[in-house]
Amino acid sequence: MPVIVVASPKGGVGKSTCAVVMATEFARMGADVTVIDCDPNKSLSRWAGRGLPARVTLVPDVGRSEIVSAIQRSDGDGKIVIIDLEGVASQLVSRAISQSDLVIVPMQPTALDAEIGSEALALIREEEEALGRAIRHAVVLTKTNAAVTSRVQRELETQLQEAGIDVITPSLVNRAAFAELFAHGGDLTSMMKNRALTTAGNIKNAQINAQAFTEAVYDRLQ
Amino acid sequence: MTDSNRLAGLKARPKDTSAATVSKAVEVGEKMGFVDRSPRRKPGRRPGPATAQLHPRIKLEIADAISDEAAERNMTHGQFSELMWNAWKESR
Repeated sequence: MPVIVVASPKGGVGKSTCAVVMATEFARMGADVTVIDCDPNKSLSRWAGRGLPARVTLVPDVGRSEIVSAIQRSDGDGKIVIIDLEGVASQLVSRAISQSDLVIVPMQPTALDAEIGSEALALIREEEEALGRAIRHAVVLTKTNAAVTSRVQRELETQLQEAGIDVITPSLVNRAAFAELFAHGGDLTSMMKNRALTTAGNIKNAQINAQAFTEAVYDRLQ
Repeated sequence: MTDSNRLAGLKARPKDTSAATVSKAVEVGEKMGFVDRSPRRKPGRRPGPATAQLHPRIKLEIADAISDEAAERNMTHGQFSELMWNAWKESR
């Protein structure tokens, strides 16, 4: 099954959130998911330490020299591999992209995120040329406002579309439930069962967003 | 169609994991600033094999005597302690 790499040389754009949302939703859909944590901040390992959902396996602490073999070991029929990369421009990023079926570049709707995120898009294009194969890639806007689409976001979406870059819709909305996933582990469904965490409405809206986003990713894997 | 049926349609795609392919990707990345940022080893002398330190509280005159004896034998206090330990073990 496919190898999905979540990459951006900028930190704090929502790479780990994006990886956890996909992992938990694909697992809920019935896939066996392996998440590979390459981020020195160990966000995924911290999340997993508080409880992994069924069907999700974590491979922690994967560095530059182990990434290719870690992907190779995890890849196989019936499995989806999701790689959460570090938020820097490193060899680890270029190695992971070389082994990917789909690269997702999360970007907050800000000029700075767009500028730094575009370095990942440029790297993918260069690798496509060097390796002689197409590497499917898409941008997802993250931490967007649920109620209002800002002018900057509209402009960014237009610029990306004009540049021929695939933009995943829906974006990942800035929801407290996504942040709380890292505090409580598991998935949004297990959080919904615990009424002490947040209001069910907030989690429900996050789940609708997560499902629609993961469906959009699934469409790009076929 | 159920979710699991849909996912069953997604098959593993073969990847070129050869050193040549990975090197090409690394080379392209390095030109764009995606360089090796794995943590470097700390500079300086490597630590020696593990040793332990004892901090026994003993009477001053005994401490002075041990210190003088070690100095006379051109030994550290640790080396002299080991020597004494071995001598005591042999004497048992």
